[in-house]
Amino acid sequence: MVDSEVFKNKVKEVVSQEYQFEFLGENFNQIVNFLTETKAEKIYQWLKQVAENNIRPIMVGSKKPYKEWTIKELLVFRYPFSINNTEYRVLFVKVKNSIYIEFHLGDHKYYDKVRKSLDLKRGNY
Amino acid sequence: MIIYNPNDEQMLKERIKEAEELLDQITAKHCFITGSYLYKKNYNDIDIFIITRSKKKFKVSNKKAKITIIDFNDLHSLFYHSISKSCLAKNVLPSKSLKVTLSDYWQVINEAVPTILNQKNKYHKEIRYLVLYTEFFKNKIVLDTYQLNQKIKEFKNYNSILQYIKENVPDAINKNAKKSYLKKFFYTQAGFYKDIKDQYDAQDILYELTHAITRGVVHG
Repeated sequence: MVDSEVFKNKVKEVVSQEYQFEFLGENFNQIVNFLTETKAEKIYQWLKQVAENNIRPIMVGSKKPYKEWTIKELLVFRYPFSINNTEYRVLFVKVKNSIYIEFHLGDHKYYDKVRKSLDLKRGNY
Repeated sequence: MIIYNPNDEQMLKERIKEAEELLDQITAKHCFITGSYLYKKNYNDIDIFIITRSKKKFKVSNKKAKITIIDFNDLHSLFYHSISKSCLAKNVLPSKSLKVTLSDYWQVINEAVPTILNQKNKYHKEIRYLVLYTEFFKNKIVLDTYQLNQKIKEFKNYNSILQYIKENVPDAINKNAKKSYLKKFFYTQAGFYKDIKDQYDAQDILYELTHAITRGVVHG
Protein backbone atom coordinates (compact mmCIF):
# COMPACT_ATOMS: atom_id res chain seq x y z
CA MET A 1 0.00 0.00 0.00
CA VAL A 2 1.38 3.38 -1.02
CA ASP A 3 0.42 6.68 0.57
CA SER A 4 -0.92 9.12 -2.03
CA GLU A 5 0.99 12.14 -0.68
CA VAL A 6 4.25 10.18 -0.67
CA PHE A 7 3.49 9.05 -4.21
CA LYS A 8 2.78 12.59 -5.44
CA ASN A 9 5.95 13.94 -3.85
CA LYS A 10 8.03 11.18 -5.38
CA VAL A 11 6.50 11.85 -8.84
CA LYS A 12 7.29 15.57 -8.48
CA GLU A 13 10.83 14.70 -7.42
CA VAL A 14 11.41 12.45 -10.43
CA VAL A 15 9.99 14.95 -12.91
CA SER A 16 11.73 17.85 -11.23
CA GLN A 17 10.24 21.01 -12.71
CA GLU A 18 9.25 24.31 -11.12
CA TYR A 19 5.78 24.48 -12.65
CA GLN A 20 3.36 22.49 -10.47
CA PHE A 21 1.51 20.06 -12.68
CA GLU A 22 -1.91 18.80 -11.63
CA PHE A 23 -2.64 15.33 -10.28
CA LEU A 24 -5.99 14.25 -11.68
CA GLY A 25 -8.25 11.20 -11.49
CA GLU A 26 -11.63 10.28 -10.06
CA ASN A 27 -10.28 7.76 -7.52
CA PHE A 28 -6.68 8.89 -7.53
CA ASN A 29 -5.86 8.35 -3.85
CA GLN A 30 -7.67 5.02 -3.68
CA ILE A 31 -5.81 3.65 -6.73
CA VAL A 32 -2.46 4.78 -5.29
CA ASN A 33 -3.38 2.96 -2.07
CA PHE A 34 -3.86 -0.22 -4.11
CA LEU A 35 -0.31 0.03 -5.50
CA THR A 36 2.45 -2.14 -4.13
CA GLU A 37 5.85 -0.53 -3.59
CA THR A 38 7.10 -2.47 -6.62
CA LYS A 39 4.35 -1.17 -8.89
CA ALA A 40 4.88 2.39 -7.66
CA GLU A 41 8.62 2.04 -8.28
CA LYS A 42 7.88 0.94 -11.86
CA ILE A 43 5.86 4.12 -12.37
CA TYR A 44 8.74 6.27 -11.07
CA GLN A 45 11.15 4.45 -13.38
CA TRP A 46 8.81 5.00 -16.30
CA LEU A 47 8.58 8.73 -15.48
CA LYS A 48 12.34 8.91 -15.44
CA GLN A 49 12.34 7.37 -18.91
CA VAL A 50 9.76 9.93 -20.06
CA ALA A 51 11.90 12.78 -18.75
CA GLU A 52 14.89 11.36 -20.63
CA ASN A 53 12.90 11.26 -23.92
CA ASN A 54 13.03 7.46 -24.03
CA ILE A 55 9.27 6.97 -24.11
CA ARG A 56 7.35 7.80 -27.28
CA PRO A 57 4.39 10.12 -26.87
CA ILE A 58 1.01 10.08 -28.57
CA MET A 59 0.39 13.29 -30.44
CA VAL A 60 -2.87 14.36 -32.00
CA GLY A 61 -3.13 16.83 -34.84
CA SER A 62 -6.12 18.72 -33.51
CA LYS A 63 -6.56 22.47 -33.39
CA LYS A 64 -9.08 22.21 -30.56
CA PRO A 65 -8.21 24.37 -27.55
CA TYR A 66 -7.23 22.68 -24.31
CA LYS A 67 -6.84 25.00 -21.34
CA GLU A 68 -4.39 27.68 -22.56
CA TRP A 69 -3.00 25.51 -25.36
CA THR A 70 -4.23 23.67 -28.45
CA ILE A 71 -4.24 19.89 -28.50
CA LYS A 72 -1.65 19.73 -31.29
CA GLU A 73 0.84 21.35 -28.89
CA LEU A 74 0.49 18.49 -26.40
CA LEU A 75 2.32 15.20 -26.04
CA VAL A 76 0.64 12.41 -24.11
CA PHE A 77 2.62 9.62 -22.45
CA ARG A 78 0.71 6.52 -21.47
CA TYR A 79 1.55 3.85 -18.91
CA PRO A 80 -0.82 0.88 -18.59
CA PHE A 81 -0.82 -1.46 -15.61
CA SER A 82 -3.23 -3.73 -13.80
CA ILE A 83 -4.09 -4.55 -10.20
CA ASN A 84 -6.21 -7.63 -9.45
CA ASN A 85 -7.50 -7.95 -12.99
CA THR A 86 -8.52 -4.29 -13.20
CA GLU A 87 -6.71 -2.17 -15.74
CA TYR A 88 -5.45 1.31 -14.94
CA ARG A 89 -3.58 3.94 -16.90
CA VAL A 90 -1.29 6.83 -16.15
CA LEU A 91 -1.53 9.61 -18.72
CA PHE A 92 1.17 12.22 -18.39
CA VAL A 93 0.61 15.34 -20.47
CA LYS A 94 3.37 17.62 -21.62
CA VAL A 95 3.42 20.79 -23.69
CA LYS A 96 5.71 20.18 -26.68
CA ASN A 97 9.30 21.28 -25.87
CA SER A 98 8.09 22.71 -22.59
CA ILE A 99 6.46 21.77 -19.28
CA TYR A 100 4.46 18.83 -17.98
CA ILE A 101 0.95 19.97 -17.09
CA GLU A 102 -1.15 16.99 -15.98
CA PHE A 103 -0.66 13.61 -14.34
CA HIS A 104 -3.79 11.48 -14.73
CA LEU A 105 -4.40 8.17 -12.99
CA GLY A 106 -7.59 6.20 -13.45
CA ASP A 107 -9.44 3.11 -14.54
CA HIS A 108 -10.57 2.37 -18.07
CA LYS A 109 -13.69 4.51 -17.78
CA TYR A 110 -11.72 7.55 -16.60
CA TYR A 111 -9.07 6.89 -19.26
CA ASP A 112 -11.75 6.96 -21.96
CA LYS A 113 -13.05 10.27 -20.61
CA VAL A 114 -9.59 11.88 -20.66
CA ARG A 115 -8.87 10.48 -24.10
CA LYS A 116 -12.01 12.15 -25.39
CA SER A 117 -11.12 15.49 -23.82
CA LEU A 118 -7.64 15.28 -25.37
CA ASP A 119 -9.10 14.28 -28.76
CA LEU A 120 -7.24 10.97 -28.60
CA LYS A 121 -10.58 9.29 -29.13
CA ARG A 122 -13.19 10.96 -31.31
CA GLY A 123 -15.30 8.08 -32.57
CA ASN A 124 -16.86 5.23 -30.62
CA TYR A 125 -14.25 2.60 -31.44
CA MET B 1 -28.80 -19.03 -24.38
CA ILE B 2 -27.81 -18.02 -27.92
CA ILE B 3 -24.64 -19.29 -29.58
CA TYR B 4 -23.22 -16.98 -32.24
CA ASN B 5 -20.66 -18.90 -34.25
CA PRO B 6 -20.83 -17.96 -37.95
CA ASN B 7 -17.42 -19.44 -38.76
CA ASP B 8 -18.17 -22.73 -37.06
CA GLU B 9 -15.20 -22.50 -34.71
CA GLN B 10 -14.67 -25.28 -32.17
CA MET B 11 -15.95 -24.12 -28.79
CA LEU B 12 -15.16 -26.24 -25.71
CA LYS B 13 -18.34 -28.03 -24.62
CA GLU B 14 -17.69 -27.73 -20.88
CA ARG B 15 -17.16 -23.98 -21.23
CA ILE B 16 -20.55 -23.52 -22.89
CA LYS B 17 -22.24 -24.85 -19.77
CA GLU B 18 -20.03 -22.83 -17.42
CA ALA B 19 -20.58 -19.71 -19.50
CA GLU B 20 -24.33 -20.12 -19.28
CA GLU B 21 -24.08 -20.35 -15.48
CA LEU B 22 -21.98 -17.18 -15.35
CA LEU B 23 -24.38 -15.27 -17.59
CA ASP B 24 -27.32 -16.35 -15.43
CA GLN B 25 -25.69 -14.55 -12.48
CA ILE B 26 -25.90 -11.24 -14.32
CA THR B 27 -29.10 -9.29 -13.84
CA ALA B 28 -29.03 -7.64 -17.25
CA LYS B 29 -30.88 -8.67 -20.38
CA HIS B 30 -28.01 -8.25 -22.80
CA CYS B 31 -24.76 -9.89 -21.81
CA PHE B 32 -22.34 -12.24 -23.52
CA ILE B 33 -19.04 -14.05 -23.22
CA THR B 34 -16.42 -14.13 -25.93
CA GLY B 35 -12.69 -14.74 -26.35
CA SER B 36 -10.20 -17.47 -25.58
CA TYR B 37 -12.23 -18.84 -22.63
CA LEU B 38 -14.61 -20.39 -25.14
CA TYR B 39 -11.92 -22.00 -27.28
CA LYS B 40 -8.80 -22.67 -25.23
CA LYS B 41 -8.14 -24.99 -22.29
CA ASN B 42 -5.74 -22.40 -20.87
CA TYR B 43 -6.98 -18.86 -20.68
CA ASN B 44 -6.14 -15.69 -18.76
CA ASP B 45 -9.51 -13.97 -18.44
CA ILE B 46 -13.16 -14.63 -19.01
CA ASP B 47 -14.29 -11.70 -21.11
CA ILE B 48 -17.85 -10.80 -20.19
CA PHE B 49 -19.63 -7.88 -21.85
CA ILE B 50 -22.84 -6.29 -20.60
CA ILE B 51 -24.85 -3.88 -22.71
CA THR B 52 -26.68 -1.64 -20.28
CA ARG B 53 -27.53 1.90 -19.28
CA SER B 54 -27.41 0.93 -15.62
CA LYS B 55 -24.57 2.27 -13.48
CA LYS B 56 -24.65 -0.56 -10.97
CA LYS B 57 -21.68 -2.85 -10.40
CA PHE B 58 -22.01 -6.37 -11.77
CA LYS B 59 -20.21 -9.33 -10.25
CA VAL B 60 -19.97 -13.04 -10.99
CA SER B 61 -18.51 -15.87 -8.94
CA ASN B 62 -15.30 -16.32 -10.85
CA LYS B 63 -12.13 -14.36 -10.13
CA LYS B 64 -10.98 -14.60 -13.72
CA ALA B 65 -14.08 -12.82 -15.00
CA LYS B 66 -13.39 -9.44 -16.55
CA ILE B 67 -16.60 -7.49 -16.97
CA THR B 68 -16.85 -4.67 -19.48
CA ILE B 69 -19.89 -2.44 -19.79
CA ILE B 70 -20.95 -1.41 -23.27
CA ASP B 71 -23.11 1.61 -23.87
CA PHE B 72 -25.95 1.36 -26.38
CA ASN B 73 -24.22 4.17 -28.35
CA ASP B 74 -21.26 1.84 -28.93
CA LEU B 75 -23.24 -0.76 -30.85
CA HIS B 76 -22.25 0.86 -34.18
CA SER B 77 -18.56 0.31 -33.46
CA LEU B 78 -16.21 -2.13 -35.12
CA PHE B 79 -15.22 -3.29 -31.64
CA TYR B 80 -18.77 -4.36 -30.78
CA HIS B 81 -19.31 -5.98 -34.18
CA SER B 82 -16.13 -7.98 -33.63
CA ILE B 83 -16.69 -9.15 -30.04
CA SER B 84 -20.34 -10.04 -30.61
CA LYS B 85 -19.71 -11.94 -33.84
CA SER B 86 -18.74 -15.22 -32.16
CA CYS B 87 -19.97 -15.45 -28.60
CA LEU B 88 -22.38 -16.97 -26.12
CA ALA B 89 -25.17 -14.57 -25.25
CA LYS B 90 -27.93 -14.67 -22.69
CA ASN B 91 -30.47 -13.35 -25.21
CA VAL B 92 -30.52 -12.24 -28.84
CA LEU B 93 -28.06 -9.36 -28.97
CA PRO B 94 -29.13 -5.93 -30.21
CA SER B 95 -27.60 -5.03 -33.55
CA LYS B 96 -26.93 -1.72 -35.24
CA SER B 97 -25.32 -0.95 -38.57
CA LEU B 98 -21.55 -0.65 -38.57
CA LYS B 99 -20.14 2.88 -38.66
CA VAL B 100 -16.40 3.11 -39.26
CA THR B 101 -14.52 6.17 -40.42
CA LEU B 102 -11.09 6.63 -41.88
CA SER B 103 -10.40 9.26 -39.26
CA ASP B 104 -11.07 6.67 -36.51
CA TYR B 105 -8.69 4.29 -38.28
CA TRP B 106 -5.94 6.88 -38.41
CA GLN B 107 -6.40 7.60 -34.69
CA VAL B 108 -5.90 3.91 -34.01
CA ILE B 109 -2.66 3.91 -36.02
CA ASN B 110 -1.53 7.19 -34.46
CA GLU B 111 -1.82 5.60 -31.01
CA ALA B 112 -0.61 2.13 -31.98
CA VAL B 113 2.77 3.09 -33.42
CA PRO B 114 4.20 4.82 -30.30
CA THR B 115 2.60 2.17 -28.08
CA ILE B 116 4.21 -0.71 -30.00
CA LEU B 117 7.61 1.00 -29.89
CA ASN B 118 7.25 1.57 -26.13
CA GLN B 119 5.91 -1.86 -25.25
CA LYS B 120 8.20 -3.74 -27.61
CA ASN B 121 7.27 -7.44 -27.49
CA LYS B 122 4.50 -6.97 -24.93
CA TYR B 123 2.25 -5.81 -27.71
CA HIS B 124 -0.51 -8.46 -27.76
CA LYS B 125 -3.20 -6.43 -26.00
CA GLU B 126 -2.22 -3.19 -27.69
CA ILE B 127 -2.59 -4.16 -31.33
CA ARG B 128 -6.12 -5.55 -31.33
CA TYR B 129 -7.71 -2.38 -32.74
CA LEU B 130 -4.89 -1.92 -35.20
CA VAL B 131 -5.33 -5.40 -36.70
CA LEU B 132 -9.12 -5.24 -36.52
CA TYR B 133 -9.26 -1.92 -38.40
CA THR B 134 -6.56 -2.83 -40.91
CA GLU B 135 -8.22 -6.12 -41.85
CA PHE B 136 -11.54 -4.33 -42.14
CA PHE B 137 -10.24 -1.58 -44.42
CA LYS B 138 -8.12 -4.04 -46.38
CA ASN B 139 -10.64 -6.83 -46.91
CA LYS B 140 -13.98 -5.51 -45.60
CA ILE B 141 -13.96 -8.34 -43.05
CA VAL B 142 -14.91 -7.97 -39.40
CA LEU B 143 -12.71 -10.47 -37.54
CA ASP B 144 -14.28 -12.18 -34.55
CA THR B 145 -12.24 -12.60 -31.35
CA TYR B 146 -10.99 -16.04 -32.37
CA GLN B 147 -9.84 -14.88 -35.81
CA LEU B 148 -8.28 -11.78 -34.31
CA ASN B 149 -6.26 -13.85 -31.82
CA GLN B 150 -5.12 -16.15 -34.62
CA LYS B 151 -4.04 -13.16 -36.72
CA ILE B 152 -2.14 -11.61 -33.79
CA LYS B 153 -0.37 -14.92 -33.16
CA GLU B 154 1.11 -14.74 -36.67
CA PHE B 155 3.35 -11.84 -35.64
CA LYS B 156 6.77 -12.97 -34.49
CA ASN B 157 7.78 -9.74 -32.75
CA TYR B 158 7.04 -6.02 -32.69
CA ASN B 159 9.13 -5.40 -35.78
CA SER B 160 6.88 -7.68 -37.79
CA ILE B 161 3.91 -5.55 -36.71
CA LEU B 162 5.63 -2.38 -37.83
CA GLN B 163 6.30 -4.12 -41.14
CA TYR B 164 2.60 -5.13 -41.34
CA ILE B 165 1.66 -1.47 -40.84
CA LYS B 166 4.04 -0.25 -43.53
CA GLU B 167 2.92 -2.90 -46.00
CA ASN B 168 -0.83 -2.75 -45.44
CA VAL B 169 -1.95 0.63 -44.15
CA PRO B 170 -1.25 2.82 -47.24
CA ASP B 171 -3.21 0.51 -49.59
CA ALA B 172 -5.98 -0.09 -47.07
CA ILE B 173 -6.48 3.65 -46.71
CA ASN B 174 -6.06 4.50 -50.38
CA LYS B 175 -8.78 2.19 -51.55
CA ASN B 176 -11.31 3.53 -49.07
CA ALA B 177 -11.42 7.27 -49.61
CA LYS B 178 -11.51 9.92 -52.28
CA LYS B 179 -8.13 11.20 -53.43
CA SER B 180 -8.99 14.81 -52.64
CA TYR B 181 -9.93 13.90 -49.06
CA LEU B 182 -6.80 11.81 -48.57
CA LYS B 183 -4.51 14.53 -49.85
CA LYS B 184 -6.02 17.17 -47.59
CA PHE B 185 -6.21 14.95 -44.51
CA PHE B 186 -2.73 13.40 -44.73
CA TYR B 187 -0.84 16.53 -45.79
CA THR B 188 -2.27 18.16 -42.67
CA GLN B 189 -1.30 15.17 -40.49
CA ALA B 190 2.23 15.19 -41.93
CA GLY B 191 2.58 18.81 -40.83
CA PHE B 192 1.77 17.89 -37.23
CA TYR B 193 4.35 15.09 -37.14
CA LYS B 194 7.08 17.10 -38.86
CA ASP B 195 7.89 19.16 -35.75
CA ILE B 196 8.82 16.23 -33.54
CA LYS B 197 9.81 13.50 -35.97
CA ASP B 198 13.51 14.09 -35.34
CA GLN B 199 12.97 13.74 -31.61
CA TYR B 200 10.73 10.64 -31.60
CA ASP B 201 10.96 7.66 -33.96
CA ALA B 202 7.21 6.92 -33.61
CA GLN B 203 6.25 10.22 -35.19
CA ASP B 204 8.94 9.70 -37.82
CA ILE B 205 7.26 6.40 -38.80
CA LEU B 206 3.85 8.11 -38.83
CA TYR B 207 5.25 10.94 -40.94
CA GLU B 208 6.65 8.44 -43.46
CA LEU B 209 3.30 6.64 -43.49
CA THR B 210 1.43 9.83 -44.37
CA HIS B 211 3.85 10.27 -47.26
CA ALA B 212 3.38 6.67 -48.42
CA ILE B 213 -0.38 7.26 -48.38
CA THR B 214 -0.23 10.49 -50.34
CA ARG B 215 2.26 8.91 -52.79
CA GLY B 216 -0.39 6.26 -53.38
CA VAL B 217 -2.83 9.04 -54.15
CA VAL B 218 -0.46 10.59 -56.66
CA HIS B 219 0.50 7.32 -58.38
CA GLY B 220 -2.82 5.52 -57.97
